[in-house]
Amino acid sequence: MIWLTWRQHRKQALFALAGLAALAAFIVPTGLAMRDTFAELGLPDCVRTLGKLGPENNEACLTGYDQFISQYGAFLLVGILFLVLPLLVGLFWGAPLIAREVEQGTHRLVWTQGVSRHHWALVKFGLIGTGALIAAIGYGLGVGWWLGPLNQVGQGDRFDGFFFDMQGLVPVGYTLFAVALGVFAGTVWPRVLPAMAGTLVGFLGLRIGLAMLARPHYLPAETLTFPVMGTAVAPNATAGDWVIASGVRNAAGELVVDGGSIECPPNPTGPGANCGADLEAGTYNWQLYQPADRFWLFQGIETGIFVALAALLLYLAIRRIRRIA
Amino acid sequence: MIEFVLDGRSKVNTYMQLVQQVKQALRVGLLVPGDQLPKVRDVAQSLAINPNTVLKAYRELEIEGLAEGRPGVGTFVRRTLASPSLPNQAELRTDLVAWLHRAQAAGLSPEDVTALVETTMRATLPAESAQNLPA
Amino acid sequence: MDTALETDQLGKRYGDTWALRDCSLHLPAGRVAALVGPNGAGKSTLLHLAVGLLRPDAGTVRVAGVPPYDNTDVLSEIGFVAQETPLYPDFTAEELVTMGARLNRRRWDGTLARTRLAQLGIPPDKPVGKLSGGQRAQVALALALAKRPRLLLLDEPVASLDPLARREFLQALMGSVAESGTTVLLSSHLLADLERVCDYLIVLHAAQVKLVGPVEDLVAEHRQLVGPRHHGEPIRGVTEVVRASHTDRQSTLLVRTDGPVDPAWTVHEVTLEDVILAHLADGETQTSNEAWGVPA
Repeated sequence: MIWLTWRQHRKQALFALAGLAALAAFIVPTGLAMRDTFAELGLPDCVRTLGKLGPENNEACLTGYDQFISQYGAFLLVGILFLVLPLLVGLFWGAPLIAREVEQGTHRLVWTQGVSRHHWALVKFGLIGTGALIAAIGYGLGVGWWLGPLNQVGQGDRFDGFFFDMQGLVPVGYTLFAVALGVFAGTVWPRVLPAMAGTLVGFLGLRIGLAMLARPHYLPAETLTFPVMGTAVAPNATAGDWVIASGVRNAAGELVVDGGSIECPPNPTGPGANCGADLEAGTYNWQLYQPADRFWLFQGIETGIFVALAALLLYLAIRRIRRIA
Repeated sequence: MIEFVLDGRSKVNTYMQLVQQVKQALRVGLLVPGDQLPKVRDVAQSLAINPNTVLKAYRELEIEGLAEGRPGVGTFVRRTLASPSLPNQAELRTDLVAWLHRAQAAGLSPEDVTALVETTMRATLPAESAQNLPA
Repeated sequence: MDTALETDQLGKRYGDTWALRDCSLHLPAGRVAALVGPNGAGKSTLLHLAVGLLRPDAGTVRVAGVPPYDNTDVLSEIGFVAQETPLYPDFTAEELVTMGARLNRRRWDGTLARTRLAQLGIPPDKPVGKLSGGQRAQVALALALAKRPRLLLLDEPVASLDPLARREFLQALMGSVAESGTTVLLSSHLLADLERVCDYLIVLHAAQVKLVGPVEDLVAEHRQLVGPRHHGEPIRGVTEVVRASHTDRQSTLLVRTDGPVDPAWTVHEVTLEDVILAHLADGETQTSNEAWGVPA
């Protein structure tokens, strides 16, 4: 069985290996270059004192950030391309696994030998799953390392949107899920193209749905309030918190401004002298956020959800295989 | 060893065709006692027929006492159907060969020989048996 | 005599439609049986049940006394060549033989497969997807035979082959049956081939078994009768009228007999093909004049 699995999937394995090698060829040199620049601009110190210095002391750091981002910000867009990698694995490893057998009729060849279908499915799922797992771990850690400096300068907050999805553990969950979804789709539509289409739609639907609707609520969000007037230390996005909602509320707690904040320096002078003058007394800034230190917890939760879904789909696939003839 | 052929248009059963071919071969001396009949496997394969059909034909020959099966070896001819004249044929053939050489020496072409034999046969042998000779 | 395949009230349903129903039959060991019937009659379903690809919805199927579904012990004793002789097209014949060895650890004769393929001149190092249809069928047969099966099931093995390849396939099949004594059940549309190859017959029609038995007996007990217009009264020596056609004065009947037939009838012998066609065309054809809007 192991021989057969390798013989049947060695091409896909080689493609995946080539893909990972290409990825490494891109992220290793650029990642090292980013780290060099990061150190040259003195940004590690800025990161260490993050959120503790007043804005006036941040000037040097902000210039450094800007310079760094103008140099490397475009890489974030490249990084977004990496998001499709788990999906590709699902489409090209998962979907054909059963769909191609049934499409070519070879399931009738392989399931009538001296190996039970159950055994066949377990070995195939096991080996393909392990392959996908190794690739995904490599990818997740690699991209996480690569994004490190960009995460730290607050551009592409690693807790937010795409950047959460690109790194750490979650790519592992996504990849396993994509493979399992592909396998399952192959038992529902026993032809390669419909199975791939089903995988594509299912994967995108669930990924986007969960990211938009469920992820902000994995744990109750924290609330932060700070006064409009005399903000000494503005809560800094670079702190890595994931700000889900923000706004300005009046004394009664009603939202006056939806999104954003109003910050006036203490004892304003000059053009900004009447900053905040038109606001009711007691107006304050309000933020709903997930603290930065929950990053790995959220990664774990999301990975867990997708791994559980993957397990469920594989279980259903095995049940469906019993009925395919 | 003989080779079987099947007549696809014949109404005769496949197994009966095999039996008849063995009998024919026995009659003309193509098969003599002790000869082995083709292996069941070879017949089945070359004619693409059910081996049970071949077995059935051989069993029929065994029942008629014409063949016997030796387990693990094959089926062998036990008895001949050739007429008692068969042993004499060899001697007659030798005479005929000698005569043909003489005819050749006398300048007869093969066509002349055939014509001479046919006219002589018609004149000498009774009409009835001459008709039975192959054309 | 041993029974190679046995079904009892076997049924398989897809949704509300029975693909096979009340199927009870015995296939004695050592036979080469033909499974005949129109498309959709349930031939493939019966074969898939016998090879354990499908689980029965009713009744039982047993191969060598054991239900084959999800039973690798039995599976390793069944050779199966599915319709269209599916093989992994990018595998070479040599790799397929290796695959067989990996998947059939208990029982696999790789030497047999290699010898057969060598005799047939099949290249070992060419992807089988690039071989001719006849060669692919031979590879599939060699793989099935290498299991040294007690029961060999073939689903329309020659349907898509040209006449020469068909003959070569049947030659190879008959040669190995003679060698191994395997019981064979093969489905086919090509009645002409069957008469020589098969000695047992199973006729399926509309998901049900119409006729089962040794070819010789079936041919011997069926007769065609020609005589005066028949109105359904019993005829001496006839147990069943399979098919009847009438003119205003004369009737032609294909019947099953159990003894000498009433001498009022002219009796003709029939071929296997006649018997099969009569049973498949069983019943009066429903005309569809109304549906076509033409006068009857």
